[in-house]
Amino acid sequence: MPEKLIHRTILAIVCLVALLGGAALAQAPLPVDDAFRLLVRRDADAGLRLEWQIASGHYLYRDKILVAGDKAPAVATPPGETKDDPNFGPTEIYHDHLTARLGEAPPSGSLRITYQGCAEDGICYPPVTKALDLATLELSEVETGFGFGATREVATVTPASLAATGEPALATAAPAAPDPTSLMTGNLAWTLAAFLGFGLLLSLTPCVFPMIPILSGMLARSGESLSARRGFGLSSVYVVAMALAYAALGLVAAWSGQNLQVVLQAPWALGLMAAVFTLLALSMFGLFELQVPARWTGWIAGRTQGRAGSIAGAAALGFGSALIVGPCVTPPLAAALLYVAQTGDGARGAAALFALGLGMGLPLIVFGTFGGRFLPRSGLWLVRVKQAFGLVFLGLAAAMLLRALPEDYALPVWGVGALGVAAFLGAFDALDAATGWGRRLQKSAGLALAIYGATLIVGFAGGATDPLRPLAFLAGGRRRPGVRVAGAGGSVGSRLRPGPVHGECRRTPHSCLLYR
Amino acid sequence: MNRRFFLGLAAAGLAGSSAFVLAGTRPAMAKAVDVNAVLHDPEAPTGGNPKGDVTIVAFFDYNCPYCKTSAADLARVVKEDGKIRLVYKDWPILTEASVQGAQFALAAKYQGKYETAHNALMGISGRRSSGDAMLEAIKASGVDMNRLQADLTSHGQKISALMQRNHAQALGLGMNGTPTYLIGSFRTSTLDYRGFKEAVAEARRRQTAK
Repeated sequence: MPEKLIHRTILAIVCLVALLGGAALAQAPLPVDDAFRLLVRRDADAGLRLEWQIASGHYLYRDKILVAGDKAPAVATPPGETKDDPNFGPTEIYHDHLTARLGEAPPSGSLRITYQGCAEDGICYPPVTKALDLATLELSEVETGFGFGATREVATVTPASLAATGEPALATAAPAAPDPTSLMTGNLAWTLAAFLGFGLLLSLTPCVFPMIPILSGMLARSGESLSARRGFGLSSVYVVAMALAYAALGLVAAWSGQNLQVVLQAPWALGLMAAVFTLLALSMFGLFELQVPARWTGWIAGRTQGRAGSIAGAAALGFGSALIVGPCVTPPLAAALLYVAQTGDGARGAAALFALGLGMGLPLIVFGTFGGRFLPRSGLWLVRVKQAFGLVFLGLAAAMLLRALPEDYALPVWGVGALGVAAFLGAFDALDAATGWGRRLQKSAGLALAIYGATLIVGFAGGATDPLRPLAFLAGGRRRPGVRVAGAGGSVGSRLRPGPVHGECRRTPHSCLLYR
Repeated sequence: MNRRFFLGLAAAGLAGSSAFVLAGTRPAMAKAVDVNAVLHDPEAPTGGNPKGDVTIVAFFDYNCPYCKTSAADLARVVKEDGKIRLVYKDWPILTEASVQGAQFALAAKYQGKYETAHNALMGISGRRSSGDAMLEAIKASGVDMNRLQADLTSHGQKISALMQRNHAQALGLGMNGTPTYLIGSFRTSTLDYRGFKEAVAEARRRQTAK
């Protein structure tokens, strides 16, 4: 059975991603400002959030993040991964992304933010210090290094004088314990709302239908005493229990994701995840169905039958039902779990999945309370909802892929994506005189998108990298540097690829030609 | 590859670096880099075979984990090859203590013990050594400490000036961090034993092919 095979393949891929802890692929070190991008935002409570985007294959040291200045607030950094080098002992580092928090900062004045990191494949950057204007939150370059360029005093041999000239006398706020309020700020509310919405959308697909007989069976068995109120109570318990089961899944996914963060950033892992998302998207387009085997459903339904009708029975049934979801919940659920694993935040993951379960269950509560009268009818629009999910997954796959590819490739990837969406909007479908205005409007939007997508691809071929000006090269705009050491004979193994010269030498210090 | 082609590339590289300077992103790159000054700074310590046909220029920091891991492989390749000239560029950019370490090592040069001090500092295990720990390591390696202090005092300005030159050259060549190795006409960062051997072989092949 091909579906089974595909299902197993996906499972195998996910397991592979989870199990292979191996080394991340080596990547060329970047200029320090590309390796670590710092952005500062002000929170609602006047605190500051320092956000670093860390390029893949690079990491920041936790104990090198320092904030100095007049009345500098304490900086709180989350616990990092422990990098345990046999030669150099354990140190805490961050990959991918770091958010540090500063306590209440004055509305004006300036702070100096210092940070330092390395690239995995063997180069360490000098510390970077940026000046932060507290009024505008703009960052300006102060220095790279620690003032080494200036004339320095010469060291002396006596230990006493060493103490005097020893460590930098920065008034630093030491890295503190993780901020317990971090979960309540940021975009948690949005995440929860989004997951609740996704859940509701999912419930509109036929996904939730297998649960209706289970629920109605349970309600029926509670006999004549069933009032709307009791029905509401029982179905609510059922739904909350189901959501809790999802929350548990979310917690596990986030926890395992936290331990796999490094692996999940490796290009091959990103590629595999992109492949999984693509397969999930294909499933949403109806190419094949992903489904938990029917006998599991039967088994759980059978186990819980005896206790049906009571509150405890409803809870047990709900918890069990979470695992026997219908054919179309599986891919979105897998996608949600992958997403949560990426964030590596346990509480957030559990909350998000709880919201998803709740969203899925809301119509069930309506059903339990009022009977089948208010449930939406199945139809073509449900297929559209599934397709929309498919598009979202394809977008996620593209985003994953682009993190593993050089930025130049963003244009063709999004171009192809735009063409795909255009096709779904009916840009290439024929209209006739009787076609309504809605359909015509949709086709116009689709056509516009198709033209934009095609332009992006043409722009890529012309060497453009700016999605807003893909055809700038026609006007003699910036091309990608075309200087390459053509036909430089004699390969020296994988590490020594004769590369382009100086300008790009900064990007590929592994063996570029420098001079001569 | 003909010579003209490489000259063209070098010109492109220089033009690129000047454009970078004009853009004002790195003020330290105000001067074009003189390749001869990089390869033959009279003050910079050298090792290996002074008449070697291939020159490796090492830019490093004594508190840089990757410098330490690759230093042993580099030393082994230089010794085994026998025809490599090695130029040491102390470029202390990672920590404050790195500067002290570099000053100690460069001062040891005046008693002919630069490489002894260098190897002692590269051999310290642990991630970030303090200046004290570096001093201990140099003392244990058999460097005369009284002489070291005297040389630091009398040659301090020269040592500082050398480190400034190294710094300017590194920035001028667009280096991001440590370690960075120039091997013939190649630039690389951390390599292992095999990587160094291959890079040297390729650099040699290019030189003889010209």
